[in-house]
Amino acid sequence: MAASHLLDEREDDGPNGGYHVMVTIEDRRHPQTTPTGRPHPSSVMSSGDQVDDKPDDSKPTRFSRGFRKALRKNQDYIRIPVPRSSRSRLPSEWWKTGIAFIWAAFNLVLTTVMITVVHERVPDKSVSPPLPDKFFDYVPRVEWAFSVTEVNGMILVALWFIQWLFLKHRAIVGRRFFFLQGMLYMYRMVTMYVTTLPVPSMHMHCAPKLYSDSHGKIKRVLQLVSGGGLSITGSHLMCGDFLYSGHTVMLTLTFLFIQEYSPRSLLWRCYHVICWFLSAVGVLFILMAHEHYSLDVVVAYFITSRLFYWYHTMANQQALRGSPHNHLNRIWWSRVFNFLEKNVKTTVPCTFSWPLSLPSVCFKNPCKSYSIVQSARDE
Amino acid sequence: MNEVKLWTASDVSVWLTNEGLQEYTDALRNVDGPALLRLSEEDFNASPLSLVTGDGGRLLLERIETLRLTSHMKAHQNNNHENNHHANGHAGIVLANGSVSNGKIHNGIPKNGLHSEPVRILIPQLPEQERTPYPTEWSKTGVAFLYALFCFLTTTVVISVVHERVPPKEESPPLPDKFFDLFDRVEWAFSICEINGVLLVGLWFTQWLLLKHRSIIGRRFFFIVGTLYLYRCMTMYFTTLPVPGMHFKCSPKIFGDWEAQSRRVMKMMAGGGLSITGSHSLCGDYLYSGHTVMLTLTYLFIKEYSPRRFWWYCWICWCLSAVGIFCILLAHDHYTIDVVVAYFITTRLFWWYHTMANQQALKEISTGNLFSRVWWFVPFQYFESNVRGIVPRNYQLPFLLRTMTCTRVKYSKLDSRES
Repeated sequence: MAASHLLDEREDDGPNGGYHVMVTIEDRRHPQTTPTGRPHPSSVMSSGDQVDDKPDDSKPTRFSRGFRKALRKNQDYIRIPVPRSSRSRLPSEWWKTGIAFIWAAFNLVLTTVMITVVHERVPDKSVSPPLPDKFFDYVPRVEWAFSVTEVNGMILVALWFIQWLFLKHRAIVGRRFFFLQGMLYMYRMVTMYVTTLPVPSMHMHCAPKLYSDSHGKIKRVLQLVSGGGLSITGSHLMCGDFLYSGHTVMLTLTFLFIQEYSPRSLLWRCYHVICWFLSAVGVLFILMAHEHYSLDVVVAYFITSRLFYWYHTMANQQALRGSPHNHLNRIWWSRVFNFLEKNVKTTVPCTFSWPLSLPSVCFKNPCKSYSIVQSARDE
Repeated sequence: MNEVKLWTASDVSVWLTNEGLQEYTDALRNVDGPALLRLSEEDFNASPLSLVTGDGGRLLLERIETLRLTSHMKAHQNNNHENNHHANGHAGIVLANGSVSNGKIHNGIPKNGLHSEPVRILIPQLPEQERTPYPTEWSKTGVAFLYALFCFLTTTVVISVVHERVPPKEESPPLPDKFFDLFDRVEWAFSICEINGVLLVGLWFTQWLLLKHRSIIGRRFFFIVGTLYLYRCMTMYFTTLPVPGMHFKCSPKIFGDWEAQSRRVMKMMAGGGLSITGSHSLCGDYLYSGHTVMLTLTYLFIKEYSPRRFWWYCWICWCLSAVGIFCILLAHDHYTIDVVVAYFITTRLFWWYHTMANQQALKEISTGNLFSRVWWFVPFQYFESNVRGIVPRNYQLPFLLRTMTCTRVKYSKLDSRES
């Protein structure tokens, strides 16, 4: 009733241009109005006594008749823009992920080359003894600790990989992971190269220096890349890559990603705690094995976590992207960030789906299931 | 259309049809203008109107009310020719129940909820602090100052402690450094760096005195400086780097002599840690470089809180800062890594803090706001919770000079517009 009243407005509000139509449906207990447009209202009202008993389903017809009448009277229509569905706000764009992957791979290889170069410059243990380190003063060396670190690192990387495979927006998340990893390894290259720290402990056996033997150096690079830089694969022979610690970077980064892109329910929180323990124990055992200075680990953790938070805040806060007062845009890689995240318009939701291309209808298993919405949607 | 009072019955039915109320035309076919205006609710309870109406005549009554008011206004208008702007002045269209008012009301007389007397709307008196989006709150600035002082003191103590652990030059030669390989040492370069640093700090202090919102900005400066020096304490303490060059003359070590150590600490604080004041005789504070922190931070603050049109001033400060940092390395007084890490940490912290302070959305803890996971988020909220919006770059003479120079009344709104 109120709707038809509202729609009865004339075109008198010409200078305003448009007007907003508020449609309210009220539950009135009044006898119903006659349908309009009839020249003889009395003929309809012959069943005047039965007006009150008219079933409620005539209300929609009355409503639509009111609409039709209004549309006939007011020939201009209002365009109501329907916001696009969120599916188009998170496009996959696998080619961008490919570029990020190439960036990460390039940086990994370059880091390996840099380690080989720096290895030549590391001062000998006898010339430059290990630097005084507070942690080393308190905790003596534990021999098997570094293997534990590397095992933890491999477990975390495997867990993250499996979780990533099952994410729905794996293109976007993968892109972020590769970009951050590449960036961190690039920073690491810079810090390794400018100043060379001596070996942290007398137990370390560094491979002999090859002064101008390029073949030997290339072989070392390949060996390091193929072994992933881990000592349990026997590829961690070179010294000099101390500031900052790449192991800490991987442990911290995989944990942060695991935590960020998984649901927050109780079961998953237990999983987060387990991963946190893996990560923390791994980092601690690096120090216990006297494989890195405490400074290396602290700086690595700081840079990794700050970069991660920075990137994700920039990605999640849409208001920051165009703002002129956004200091985050002063960072030197903001253009690359805009390129990667331009079309991602909203926070990446945590939804899972099968990695193989089954139609998503088959697998409806969102992380947070809203029972009311689900059932309403299923009707 | 002429006046309602002059309407005939056919006029009334034409009007009813135009209003979309054809159902009443039959029942009201004998009703003329004045009779129409006299219609009331009771008429709708009786036949024949009760038979045709569906809503108790409410719609029609509303339209008639409009007509009544229009005719009343027109009469009023005709009576007062001089005040013919009067009617048009009532431009407020009252929206009753949120519905769009009838388009027929051109002169804006509200058809529903007309009040003859003005309505008094009470605005609650806000306390002084909430009235402005940039409250001064000098107490918080005091807290930040104490925090910075505490961090400076801790740094000095830690330097004194670390000095005891620095390996002697003969045992642990300077580490290989790429910059040192490319550039030889220049002796007087470090004095240039320190002079630049003193200049920049002086410029920033003067600029800070002239800022209008100096309490807020001072608070930020002290907090950031304090946190940077706190981080520096930690990095210095964990791992001790050897001296970067053989030219260093480190003070002899005093093992366990607390009195002498505290005297050393006092001397360093009094001299500000500068070598031109002779208080830079302790070694071991290499990672990361405090000089770089001061040079970078003062430049960032100067740039952030200076007017856009003084771009030449910002450029001069940038040159001072860059030359100062370069001279640190040229003097072989710090490793390259010290300078790089110091620059990185300073810029990131500055930008992080200011982005959080400028965006209201980042001041709250939420899943989308990863900035809130940083350890200093709670002190940050304490400092910046009452600051709403971006602090504008307004200038104002400091208090003492203001009272001495002029006695005219200051209007805060005019002030902000003038600056």
